[in-house]
Amino acid sequence: MIDWFISPLTDFGFMRRALVAGLALSLVAPPLGVFLTLRGMSLVGDAMAHAVLPGVAIGFLMAGFSLPAMSVGGLIAGLVVAGLAGGVSRLTGHREDSAIASFYLISLAAGVMLISLRGSSVDLTHVLFGSILAVDSTALWLIVGVSSATLLTLAAIFRILVVECLDPLFLRGQGVRGSAVHALFLGLMVLNLTAGFQTLGTLMAVGLMMLPATAARFWSKRIEGLMGLAIAIGIFSSVGGLLLSYHAGLPSGPCIILLAGVVYLLSALFGRYHSVFARWRRRVEPVLPADAHG
Amino acid sequence: MEPILTLEAVSLAQGNRMVLENVEGTFAPGSITALVGPNGAGKSTLVQAIMGVLKPIRGRIHCGVPSDRRAWLPQQLALDLTFPMSVEELVLTGCWPTHGSFKRYGPEEYRRGQAVMQRLGLQAFEHRPLGELSGGQRQRALLGRTLMQKAQLLMLDEPFANVDAATVDILIEVLRDMAAEGVSIIIVLHDHDQMRRLADRVLWLDRGRATWVAPSSLDAASGATLSNHATADASIHSHSVNERPA
Repeated sequence: MIDWFISPLTDFGFMRRALVAGLALSLVAPPLGVFLTLRGMSLVGDAMAHAVLPGVAIGFLMAGFSLPAMSVGGLIAGLVVAGLAGGVSRLTGHREDSAIASFYLISLAAGVMLISLRGSSVDLTHVLFGSILAVDSTALWLIVGVSSATLLTLAAIFRILVVECLDPLFLRGQGVRGSAVHALFLGLMVLNLTAGFQTLGTLMAVGLMMLPATAARFWSKRIEGLMGLAIAIGIFSSVGGLLLSYHAGLPSGPCIILLAGVVYLLSALFGRYHSVFARWRRRVEPVLPADAHG
Repeated sequence: MEPILTLEAVSLAQGNRMVLENVEGTFAPGSITALVGPNGAGKSTLVQAIMGVLKPIRGRIHCGVPSDRRAWLPQQLALDLTFPMSVEELVLTGCWPTHGSFKRYGPEEYRRGQAVMQRLGLQAFEHRPLGELSGGQRQRALLGRTLMQKAQLLMLDEPFANVDAATVDILIEVLRDMAAEGVSIIIVLHDHDQMRRLADRVLWLDRGRATWVAPSSLDAASGATLSNHATADASIHSHSVNERPA
C-alpha cells in the first residue's frame, strides 16, 4: 500500500516535479479562492482564467511551449481584461462582473482563434487543459516563485482584505483606497492562474482555487479555519489526483480537479454548517425538551 | 463651541443627477443630528460626501476630524451577514487608526475590546460568528467597532432597523453617552419617536433641498409639518446644536 504512494515519486523525476508544483499551487490558490468567495466574486475567477488565453496564445506563437513566455503573455492579457472590465464598469455604470464576463468571452474566442491559426489541435488541448506531468525545472521555478511571492503578499495585505471584504466603506474612511486593494488582489489572482495553467490548463486552473474554498465553507465559520481547510483540501486533491492519474493512466489535471469536486460534493452533503445533512438535522430537532412532552 | 463639521452651500450629484443643492450647516462636538427624508432624497449621498468618498460639485465641506476618526455604521443589509468573523474580531478592527494593516493587537487592545463589549452587553457573544447573531447583537458589535476607533464623528444609517426594543434602548444610551463625551453624531432615522428621544435637531431632505427643523416639531402630524418645511422654505437654516431634548 505504501508502495502505491511512494514508488511513483521515487521512480520518476517528472512525478516529483509535478508533486512540488501541485503543493506550491495548493498553498496559495485556495486562500485566494476563499477571498474570492468572501468578496462575492466566485465566477470572476473563472472568467479571468479564460481571459488569460489570448496572452498565452501570443506567447505560444512567439516562443512555442515556453512557460515564461506564455505566463508573461497570460499575465498581461489577464491584467488588460481586468483593467478594461473595470474601466467599462466605471464609465457605463454596469456591474463589473457583467463587464468581465463579456471580455472573457471575447478573450476566449480570440485565444482559440490565435492558436488555431498557427498551432494544431494538440497544442490547443495542451494550453486549454495543461499537463502537470510535463512540468520542467524552469516551469517549476516559476510556479514556486509565484506561489512564494503570492503567499508573502497575501500575508502582508491579509487584514486589509478581510476588513475590505466585510465593509469597504470603513476602509475608505481610514484612507485606504479600495480600488488599489481590489487591483492588487486581481493581479495576484491572474498571476496564480498563469502559474497554474501549465499544470492544469487555462480552463481548470481556477478549479484548485475555487473548489477547496467553497468546500471549506461547509466546515468552518472562522476565516483562519477556512484558509487552513481550503489549503488541506487543495493538497489532498493535488497529491491524490496525481497518484490516481499515474496509477489509472488518466489525465492529471482532470483527476486533481475531480477529486476536489468530490470533496466539495461530500461537504455540501455532510458538512458541519449549511450542508444538506446539517439542515436536515436542525429541522428534526425537537423544539421542546424531551421531558416537556406529554 | 468651534464646529467640527461645516457645510457651505454644498451641492451633490450622483452621476448626471443632481441630488442636493446648497446644503448649509454646522455640526458641533457632542451634537446629535437626524437626517430624515423619503427614499432617494440624498441621505446616503450626503453621508458619503461627509465621509470624503463623494466630492461636492459646488460648495465646500470643511471637516476638522481626521478621516480615520470618522466612523460610518452602514445598514446591516449592506454587509455580508455570513462573514466568517467573530464579535471580538469585528470590534478589534476598530483599532485600524493606530494599528493599520500590520501591527499586532497587544494586551491593551484586547483589554479595551473587552471593556467595549461589556459596555454593549456583548461579552457572552465575544467568540460568536457574526452570522449567528441577532440583528440587535450585530448592530451592537458594529457600534463597538466605532467605540474602539475612538471616533469623533459618527454617522449611522438606520441603526435601529430590524433591532429589538431592548437593543434600541441600549444603543440610544450608548450614543447619548458618546455625544456627552464630545462625539458628533449624524444618524439616518425614520422613526419619529426615536428621533425625539435621540436627536438635538433634524435635517430634512426632500426634492434636492435640505431644511433644518427641531425634533419638537415632529408631532402626530409630523409628516405634514416636515413637508411644509421642505416645500415652503428653499433657504436652509442652521440651528444651535445645544438644545438637547429633555
